[in-house]
Amino acid sequence: MAANNPSVFLLMVNGQIEEANFPEHDDLYCKYCFVYGHDWAPTSGLEEGISQISSKGRGSVQNIVWNFPLDITFKSTNPFGWPQIVVCVYGADTFGNDVVRGYGAVHIPLTPGRHKRTIPMFVPESTSRLQKFTSWLMGRRPEFTDPKVVAQGEGREVTRVRSQGFVTLSFNIVTKDMKKLGYDTSSTETLQPPSLVTEPTYTL
Amino acid sequence: MAELHIIGQIVGASGFPYGTLFCKWGVHTGGAWRLLCGLREGQTQVDSPQNGEMAFWSHPIDLHYTTKGLQGWPKLHLQVWNQDSFGRCQLVGYGYCHVPSSPGHHRLHCVTWKPLGSWQEQLAQTFVGGGPQLRTPDLIYSGADRYRLHTIAMGTVELELGVILRHFDRYGVET
Repeated sequence: MAANNPSVFLLMVNGQIEEANFPEHDDLYCKYCFVYGHDWAPTSGLEEGISQISSKGRGSVQNIVWNFPLDITFKSTNPFGWPQIVVCVYGADTFGNDVVRGYGAVHIPLTPGRHKRTIPMFVPESTSRLQKFTSWLMGRRPEFTDPKVVAQGEGREVTRVRSQGFVTLSFNIVTKDMKKLGYDTSSTETLQPPSLVTEPTYTL
Repeated sequence: MAELHIIGQIVGASGFPYGTLFCKWGVHTGGAWRLLCGLREGQTQVDSPQNGEMAFWSHPIDLHYTTKGLQGWPKLHLQVWNQDSFGRCQLVGYGYCHVPSSPGHHRLHCVTWKPLGSWQEQLAQTFVGGGPQLRTPDLIYSGADRYRLHTIAMGTVELELGVILRHFDRYGVET
């Protein structure tokens, strides 16, 4: 066994796509996929998924609940290209066409433990008024041909977007052999009081 | 050599008196630092929020540095721009923040400012937009020549950065 001298580290991701907050849309479903660098490879679990269609709660819960499981393990030799999860939310418009209601992406948390992330969701917008008019006329809205562009830093200066909702994800992270490879991901400082650590929720 | 990974996002900005915002960003380091992988500068998407006043960019950052010295720890400098309905862009804020030196996940709020200009310039600005900009943008992250400026407070840029250190303890560096 190479347990004493590891050359790869493992990142185990458990979690769920909990819920979404889209004030203007209902009956939505989501897709997810992971984007990672060259040194990374998934060892087990599903890389892509598609959720059920969910409606807003009628009672006190005004959010769209998916409760959709994520379960994947990655291996890598280098933290560069750390995996990101890309979430795309779709719903039907008044004519029954599937249109995108939001794209969003976030890095998988680096540190072991339980984490919650609220990610903003946005859709691309037409840049010219003519395109805006024709897309309104045809009922076809702009989309990304490859949703993975939202996890890339290059070429974004040309995209115009409109942000219109949030998706909440929770993660449980376990890493293996990162310390043995010399990587230091968690602070040795004393933990902050829980009131400072909790994620602020965005208000609309 | 010690290694530093910076992995995170420029989340977005709030508190600006304009709706449609984007951000030009860059990382400045000292001479001992070398970038192995990743983009050291870029520009975010242009977001006009549908509800609420916070513009979201979700712009990913993934950088891998090696270093021979601690001087010149990476700094992230930001320029926030507004795009108006005619497609014209005007600068609405400069800001910088140090990359945290302790490993782990950090949520940062970077305050921003912009040059004010003379009263004639301010008057012109209320009618036609625009406004003064820095001729040398390295003033954003250096404190040497700031005393000649008169600036006004602008909004806040929110960042989430994860920091991974490697082999710093091998050289006795305590973070």
